[in-house]
Amino acid sequence: MDEMTVLDRFRAEVPRPGLDELRSEEARLMAAIAGADAGVDSASVRRVRLVRRGRLTIGVAGGLAAAAVAGVVVVTARGPEQGTVTHVMPVAASRVLTRAADASTGFPELRPEPGQFLVYESQTMDPVESNSAQGHARYLARSVRKVWLPVEGDSTRGVIEERTLAPRPYPGWPIPPSARRAGPNGGPEKLADFDDRAEFLRNDFAYVSRLPTEPQKMYEHLYTRLGTGPQADVEAWMRVGGLLTEAYLPSAQRVALYRAAAAIPGVTTVDRAVDAAGRAGIAAAKTVGGVRREYLFDQRTYQYLGQREVVTDAAVARAPVGSVLTSTAQLRVSVANRAPRVDS
Amino acid sequence: MSDSSPSDADGTDDGADDAAVIERSRRHPEAFAEVFRRHAPDVKRYVTRRLGRDAAEDVVAETFLAAFRQRDRYDLARRDARPWLYGIATNLVGRYVRDEVRQLRAVQRGGGDPVSESFADRSDERVSAQAHGRRLAGALASLPEGHRDALLLVAWGGLTYPEVAAALGVRVGTVRSRVSRARRRLRRELGEISPTLFVREETVHG
Repeated sequence: MDEMTVLDRFRAEVPRPGLDELRSEEARLMAAIAGADAGVDSASVRRVRLVRRGRLTIGVAGGLAAAAVAGVVVVTARGPEQGTVTHVMPVAASRVLTRAADASTGFPELRPEPGQFLVYESQTMDPVESNSAQGHARYLARSVRKVWLPVEGDSTRGVIEERTLAPRPYPGWPIPPSARRAGPNGGPEKLADFDDRAEFLRNDFAYVSRLPTEPQKMYEHLYTRLGTGPQADVEAWMRVGGLLTEAYLPSAQRVALYRAAAAIPGVTTVDRAVDAAGRAGIAAAKTVGGVRREYLFDQRTYQYLGQREVVTDAAVARAPVGSVLTSTAQLRVSVANRAPRVDS
Repeated sequence: MSDSSPSDADGTDDGADDAAVIERSRRHPEAFAEVFRRHAPDVKRYVTRRLGRDAAEDVVAETFLAAFRQRDRYDLARRDARPWLYGIATNLVGRYVRDEVRQLRAVQRGGGDPVSESFADRSDERVSAQAHGRRLAGALASLPEGHRDALLLVAWGGLTYPEVAAALGVRVGTVRSRVSRARRRLRRELGEISPTLFVREETVHG
C-alpha cells in the first residue's frame, strides 16, 4: 500500500451525490440563468418594497417612483381585531401542512447563536405599480436577494444584497420602459429603515424560539388580537407567511406552526405549484382577496420552498384567473458570524 | 434544452462535447444547465472531501455561477470542461484554507473527522480514524497550498498532470514537481509508523 492508496481511501466514504442532492446549487445556477435569459438584468426604479406580512409593513429606503401594489393582491384583514377572544383550534384539515409537520423533525437543524446572523437567499417576483409623469404602469419585478438578519432584533439591523432580474409583464399591461432602465444592483444595503411590527408579529430567531411548541398554543398565537370569522382566518394565514418568509423556526416551533396552520379554516391543497426558481412542489393555500395565497413544500421531503399568489377572481385581482402575481423561492438558509458592512 | 442532443446518464454524450454545450449556452443560457448536470456531482464530491458538506455547497454553487458568468471567455478548443471547473472550484476552496487545515489537524489529533463523520456510521473503520489516516491528515495539512491543490486534483479530482496544469494555470513541469514533493512528504510521514508497509517507488500517479 503506497501513499496514494492511503490518500485514495482517505474520506472515501464521502459519496458522489446524485443531482437530487444538488438542488440548492442547481437552483442558484438556474436563478442566474433566468436572469441572463431575457437579456435585461436590471429594473429602473429603486423599488419601495412594501413587504406586507399580515399587518407587518417594513419600509425600505429608496426613491418614491414605484410602490408594490400590495393593496390589490394582499388584503390584510381590517376590523376583526378585538380584545380577548378564545380561539379553539379545529381538527387539522390540511394534509400538506400535516405531512410537513411530520417530516419537519428530520431536517438538519441550524443552531444560530446570539450575535450571529441568519442568511436567507431567495428569488422573488412582486407586482410593482408606478405612477409618474410618464403615466401609470404595472409590471412584475423580479430579483435574487440575499438577506442577513440578526438572530435577535428587528430588521433595521438587517442587510440585503439584491440583484434585479428581467421584469415580467403584469397580465394585460405592457412593461414600462422605466422598468428596464439600469438601476442599482448589488449592495450590500441596509434592509429596512423602520420596522413597526407589533411584538407578536416579530419573526427574529430569538423571538420565534420562545413561541409555543404546542399546536393549540401556536394557533392562539396566530390569532393574537384577532376576532373570529373569515377575515380573522385570512389574517392568521398571512401571519403564517410572516413566520415562513425570511424567518427560521427551531424544529419544535416549526412543527407546531405547521400543525396550527393546518387547522386554519378554509385551507386547501394545490397538488402542483412551481416556485420562482422553477422547483415544482405541493402547496397549502387559502383564498385571500381574489388570489390564492400558497405556501409551497417539496413534494418528497416537505421542506419549505416558497410562496405564491395566484389569481382566483379576475374582477377582484384585475388579472386573469391563474396568473401568478407574487412568487418567492427560498433557496438557502444559513448562519453567518457577521453581515456585510454597509456604507451609509 | 429541447433542441440540444440528450446526454447519457453517465455524463458522456452522443455528439455534443462540453465545448459545444458551452458555445451554445452563449446564445441560449439555459443550455448551461447541461454543464451542471454533467459535472456537478463529481465536483461536489471533490470539494466535500476537502471541506465538508456545508462549505462544499457554497463552493459548488459559486463554482457553477462563476463558470456561467465566464462562459464567453471559455477556450472552446478545450473540449472537456473538467479542468476549467475544477480550477474554479479549487480556487474557491482556497478561501476556506483555514477551515481545511483546521479539520485536517483535528483528524491528526485523533479528534474525529468533521468532514466525513456525517457520511458514515462506522467511524472506527474510517481511514481517518486509523493511525496512518491521522498521519496522512497531518501531512496534508502541512503541505503548501499549491502542492495540496495539485496532489488532490490528481488523487481526488482524477485529473491528469496536463489537466491539473490547465486547472491551476501553471506549467505541467510545475505540477509534476509539486505532486512529487507532496508525495514524498506523505511517504515520509506514513513511513514513520510502518516503514515496511510502503513501497518506495517513484513512478508518477495519474
